[in-house]
Amino acid sequence: MVGEEIVTSGSTSCQGCGHAILARLAFKAFGRKTIFTLVPGCIWITLSRNIPLFSTGTVFEGGGALVSGITNGLAARGIEDMNVVAFYGDGGTADIGLQGLSGAAERNENVFWICADNQAYMNTGGQRSGATPKYAQTTTTPASYIRRGKRTKRKNLPFIVAAHDVAYVGTASIAYPSDLVGKIEYAKGLKGFKFLHVQSPCPTGWGFSPSDTIKVARLTVQSGIWPLFEITEGNDFRLTYKPRELKPVGEALGLQRRFRHLTDGESQEIQSRVNGQWKQLLEIDGKRLPY
Amino acid sequence: MGHKELMVGNKAVAYGAVLSRVQVTSAYPITPQTTIVEYLADFIASGRLDAKFIEVESEMSAQVSVQGASWAGARAFTATSGPGLLYMHHPMMGCRLPIVMAVVHRSNKSMQPDHTDLMAQRDTGWIHLYCENTQEVLDTMIMSYRIAENDRVYLPVALGLDGYILSYTAEPVEIPDQDLVDSFLPPFKGRSAPHPDMTIEEWRANMSRGAGGYGTQKAWIDHHENMMAAKEVIVEVDEEFGKVFGRSYGGLYEEYNCEGAEAVIVAMGTIASTARPTIDDLREEGKDVGLVKLKTFRPFPHDEFREMAKRYNAFGVIDRNISIGSGGVVFNELRSALYNVDDKPSVLGFHTGLSGEEVTPGMVRRIAEKTLEAARGPVEPLVEWV
Repeated sequence: MVGEEIVTSGSTSCQGCGHAILARLAFKAFGRKTIFTLVPGCIWITLSRNIPLFSTGTVFEGGGALVSGITNGLAARGIEDMNVVAFYGDGGTADIGLQGLSGAAERNENVFWICADNQAYMNTGGQRSGATPKYAQTTTTPASYIRRGKRTKRKNLPFIVAAHDVAYVGTASIAYPSDLVGKIEYAKGLKGFKFLHVQSPCPTGWGFSPSDTIKVARLTVQSGIWPLFEITEGNDFRLTYKPRELKPVGEALGLQRRFRHLTDGESQEIQSRVNGQWKQLLEIDGKRLPY
Repeated sequence: MGHKELMVGNKAVAYGAVLSRVQVTSAYPITPQTTIVEYLADFIASGRLDAKFIEVESEMSAQVSVQGASWAGARAFTATSGPGLLYMHHPMMGCRLPIVMAVVHRSNKSMQPDHTDLMAQRDTGWIHLYCENTQEVLDTMIMSYRIAENDRVYLPVALGLDGYILSYTAEPVEIPDQDLVDSFLPPFKGRSAPHPDMTIEEWRANMSRGAGGYGTQKAWIDHHENMMAAKEVIVEVDEEFGKVFGRSYGGLYEEYNCEGAEAVIVAMGTIASTARPTIDDLREEGKDVGLVKLKTFRPFPHDEFREMAKRYNAFGVIDRNISIGSGGVVFNELRSALYNVDDKPSVLGFHTGLSGEEVTPGMVRRIAEKTLEAARGPVEPLVEWV
């Protein structure tokens, strides 16, 4: 992978942390002329000190406003050639941070937002978030004979952002580094609001072996659970990874303890929802979305 | 020379932002602050102010975005009122960036003014300056940036003006010439401002100046020490402002008609204006009671009040606020400041004007007369609602 190695080794993140792999890839693509910002979460606590770039952080709900202020402050000083990066988790993006995200996206602020999505509040020990998938066990959505893990689907974050008509929206996976880095390298040159939603498997929270991070990530993409696509200016939708045939979801889910309680019926429900979604995505592939 | 214009307090705030050459502004409309946002938008649209306006979706984002802009090296301004200020509380807490915010006072139990909104931000580590009239609002805007950006201080400033009474009431205001303001207020040089040609080491060394790091008790100590250093800086800036512009506000406080007084009343904001002619009348009647207008609430002028305690036998503190379950915030702090002085003066508390209820000269007269009585002997009750 080309690009300067910016992230240093020896972070305090958990073994096999998806965020650490993502940070390494992403900042190679951004390069040195980059300011990255933080809100509370795993990235701030375990990784930020390993990223020797200009950086600052703010309150959990303030991420969207912080990058907005920075990009405007720099512009007021005549500095237009620095990447202003929001590097937040799913809480700071989809839940407590959603209002600020929406404001910044609506204003089409010249920033690059990366959502490192480990699908729960992992920094506080793995509570459910708006990005937690249906049926997943978390510490606040336990599975028992009464409760079946999380009761509702996760928010459709990339489409929420795309509905703001921004410069760029994409999804990515750490198992597909060329796709991920290519998307950053393309989008960082665009003026306006850029959003990349990256799945970041969490061995601690999802319950799989730290050596399987990439495997889990790859299987979720290959099974259509985590489709890779981008929505470019004008709302042009394009799948960037199209397997001829999807693998069954069971392979990816079976590796994760958070889905261990699934009944056959529940697995089947997930499978048919993924199939349905994939069919819809194929239908809009290469087309312009309404906005 | 400057020129005079008739303007409301909110316009004076906006003029202050223009004259201070604010580079980034962001605010969310709320009554009675709203017209500040509109004036600023107009000034930017007409080219009078060369600034970025971030049209945020909330006060929380207004506060955080001006912090982001200030961090990035731009002079930043925001404004809000009552509930909006409370929504900003989280990002305000512990902020160490030299932004200036106008707080157009609004009660939380009414749309009308009292000081409970800014008093609720008492412990956030901001400098709090209360204004009495429209001219003072404009002048304090300019002074605030000098105070905030001072290297010994480097802290945010909240300046308060009473909603409606100042925000929507027109008074003649002298607008100083831009050249003169430029000579008084040099361009902002931010400590944490990144630059593409700067190394991370240089930037870190510059940024960490004067502030203990996150996760340390030293961060609190340093914040407090910088706040206490602001006392000196506020006085210096006020004196220099007086020399350059011919107007001065005493810095931390002003003693009005206090010569030879036995007792003083202590007032903040527009109540000080109501009090002045009343005090004049009382002095003419031979009653030795003066007025101390408290302008700077944070940092609190403890030592200065202890000095005053040598001259006055009684203080009657007017609180346009209440800390529910305790009492008047200024009353409590002033009494606490005087605990260790010899020959303690009497300190009386008066709650008044909450939820914007009118504070009349007659009420001030009663407060002043009771305080004077307390200078000569015990009075009851110690604290009352007027």
